[in-house]
Amino acid sequence: MTETIQLGGAKETGFFPRLRTIIGRRTEGRGVILLLVILAVLAFTQPLVFTALPVTIGRIALIGIVALGLTAVILMGELDLSVASTLAASGVVVAIIPDLRIAIPAALLMGIVVGIINAFFIAIVGIASFIASLGMLFALSGLAFVLSNEVPVSIANQDAGLAFGQPLFGPVTPRILLFFLVFIAIQLFVTKVKAGREFFAVGGNRQAAYDSGIPVKRRIFTGFIISGFVSALAGVIYTLELTVATPTAGSTVLLASFAAAIIGGNYLKGGRGSIIGTLIGASSLGVLQVALFLSGVQVPVQNTLIGAILLIAVITDPSSLRAISARVRATLPDRTKVEAQ
Amino acid sequence: MAAVVEAKNITKAFGGVKAVDDVSVSVEAGEILAVVGENGAGKSTLMRILAGIETQDSGQVIVSGEVIPKSDAKASIDAGISLVHQELSLVPEMTVAENILLGSAPTTVGITRTRQMKQIAQAALEEIGVSVDLDERISKLSVALRQFVEIARAVARKPKVLILDEPTASLTPAETDYLLSMLQRLADRGMSIVYISHRIPEVFRLCDTVTILRDGKQISVLDVAKTTPQQVIDQMVGRELKKDLESKRSSSPGHVVLKAVGIRAEGVNDISLEVRAGEIIGLGGLVGAGRTELVRAIIGADPRKLGKVTLTVNGKTKVISSFESAVKAGVGYVPEERRTDGLALTMTVAENITLPNRKELSASGFQLARKIRTFADDLSKRVGLRPPEIDREAGQYSGGNQQKIVIAKWLGRRPALIVLDEPTRGVDVGAKAEIHRLVKELADNGTAVLVVSSDLPELLELADTIHVVRDGTITGTLSQEEADEKRVMSLAAGEQVENA
Repeated sequence: MTETIQLGGAKETGFFPRLRTIIGRRTEGRGVILLLVILAVLAFTQPLVFTALPVTIGRIALIGIVALGLTAVILMGELDLSVASTLAASGVVVAIIPDLRIAIPAALLMGIVVGIINAFFIAIVGIASFIASLGMLFALSGLAFVLSNEVPVSIANQDAGLAFGQPLFGPVTPRILLFFLVFIAIQLFVTKVKAGREFFAVGGNRQAAYDSGIPVKRRIFTGFIISGFVSALAGVIYTLELTVATPTAGSTVLLASFAAAIIGGNYLKGGRGSIIGTLIGASSLGVLQVALFLSGVQVPVQNTLIGAILLIAVITDPSSLRAISARVRATLPDRTKVEAQ
Repeated sequence: MAAVVEAKNITKAFGGVKAVDDVSVSVEAGEILAVVGENGAGKSTLMRILAGIETQDSGQVIVSGEVIPKSDAKASIDAGISLVHQELSLVPEMTVAENILLGSAPTTVGITRTRQMKQIAQAALEEIGVSVDLDERISKLSVALRQFVEIARAVARKPKVLILDEPTASLTPAETDYLLSMLQRLADRGMSIVYISHRIPEVFRLCDTVTILRDGKQISVLDVAKTTPQQVIDQMVGRELKKDLESKRSSSPGHVVLKAVGIRAEGVNDISLEVRAGEIIGLGGLVGAGRTELVRAIIGADPRKLGKVTLTVNGKTKVISSFESAVKAGVGYVPEERRTDGLALTMTVAENITLPNRKELSASGFQLARKIRTFADDLSKRVGLRPPEIDREAGQYSGGNQQKIVIAKWLGRRPALIVLDEPTRGVDVGAKAEIHRLVKELADNGTAVLVVSSDLPELLELADTIHVVRDGTITGTLSQEEADEKRVMSLAAGEQVENA
């Protein structure tokens, strides 16, 4: 090549400039900062959190597993409000079928079907994902009540359930192990697999995705199937651990999983975020919940605090701070002066 | 030599209006073909059809003798047609390398081969001679660099034909210079290039052949070496240059109402202008020249970096610092995008018309229903709304009638200054004439009028004085007597007007 042009955007050299650009490219900043602040405060006020590690990680896994599946959908700029009721319905399915070898695959299959139905309405019929998955939310929570006859259902094989709650090694219970497996699977999918990387394109600039020949509708199906499957898996775990399925299970999971994804730096309009971010967001929330619980804070007060922290985490994000200050300046009282002529 | 790509008798209509009407173009290996025309001449639509993004009503696209299936973006890319879009179509949070290979990243069993992807991306960037960090996210790059990444993406597909739609719109002169020599190099190596531009000098520097479109029709195909810029502009404009003398107003402008000094804003570079009472000032130029940005900065709808704007009404001068203060001081604004900015489509006509007049029509916070009805009724009749049913939703009306509603909304305030941005775009001929009549009537009643229009005949009919804007500055000012379509077009496209 005879001639090149330099327009900025060159690769940085030197350790610190490289490090700075690498950090600048990450989206998890707010989640990391929040987690560090929480851990620092707790190290002094509530060190029990660290000794009760299995409880803490268990808590994180509970919120986190649903949030991880949800993130796949959020990356494409879509919403899945049906995650928590998928969890409840699949939990009931596990309990009402006596043979676990049939019950668990049936529950997981239900999650996949839920994802396909959601995606059908969104990608093929063209309904906004908020509405389509809201409908699914109602339908599934209704289904959970019908299947369970509106009462908690115990699983037939209590031994299997009790065994499921025991640690496999160290503090790692099957729930925690599954959580990390799901994390690794989705993380690899959206960072290494072509189809998964294209989720960012679908969420970041859908027209560009179409124009480049990316099968956008198929990607939407994949995303919702991931979200449905993972939620159903969470329902299975929930029921096995408690050895009983309640149709109201996971009522707090919906909002907590969205909060985890948002704190983790995922942009609700899509195209920006990461699975690691959601993991960090879920960790912050989980640690906080356990700490508040150990400190004897009442659940409603806990929720108020979590809400406040969600807002603080979002508005203290550097990019949001810039946008907010611009907006505040624009809405300041106008300075029309009257000059006599 | 045989044509590499040929479009035969392409026709495409949008809702009865033929955007492209029986157009045929062909380009040979190593040839650079320019496609020029005024705004709305059908250039972009034609290119989107070539790229398989838009479906033609009739006609064929043929690449190396093979007919390409309609509206199949992937098939067009595979056949060797690569389009660099006018609007940037990159994914902001993906890396440079990922964007260059968007949708076509190399994989083994579905897993992206990152190293190979980067090699291909690097090769494409080297081919166009641009150096950039492959791992950087698009959102962190300058607009110019994004444009080059976009071109790298098109080049990475190893196209036979590279189509560029207004690639220099957001580039500085130096960057433009580089882009043009880069395209020349690509063509020298046998790539065919279709170059769409408003900018005539670029066409003459770069291209071999020029196809001129006007109102969707192909006017001519000229050999660039055997023509002159003035000839090309003549054919782009093409209309009979008769001025409708009857429509001319006897203007006797009053005092200066709007005074804008040294306006600088995004896309606006130090512009000053004045509008007097009863005067219509037109802002001419090409789409993207900075006219909308200018008027929005003047009335405070978008932030200004620098500059002062004052409005003088009844001997009192007020400084305009925000849109709110502008409306209070007596400015009416009919925006470019009436569907999104100008109207609440689900509200009734009456509600829309009375939106900026809430205070006058209410007593201690309560709205006076009867007063609102007579007020809205009067105005909708005055602007010739058809049918004048003020209880209908605004969204049920046609484009022309919607525009009348927006104008009625501001008429009710008896504005000292009214700013209209593309007041008749997408409006049928009848409504257009009525809107023109209304604008003139406003001026005759002493309102200062500032009109932005890309529609040359409209500008010539309405404006007492035309400022032509290009690249954020005023490149020329023409009085109604001096103004004709060719002069406005020449100033807008960056050609010197002969003997001006």
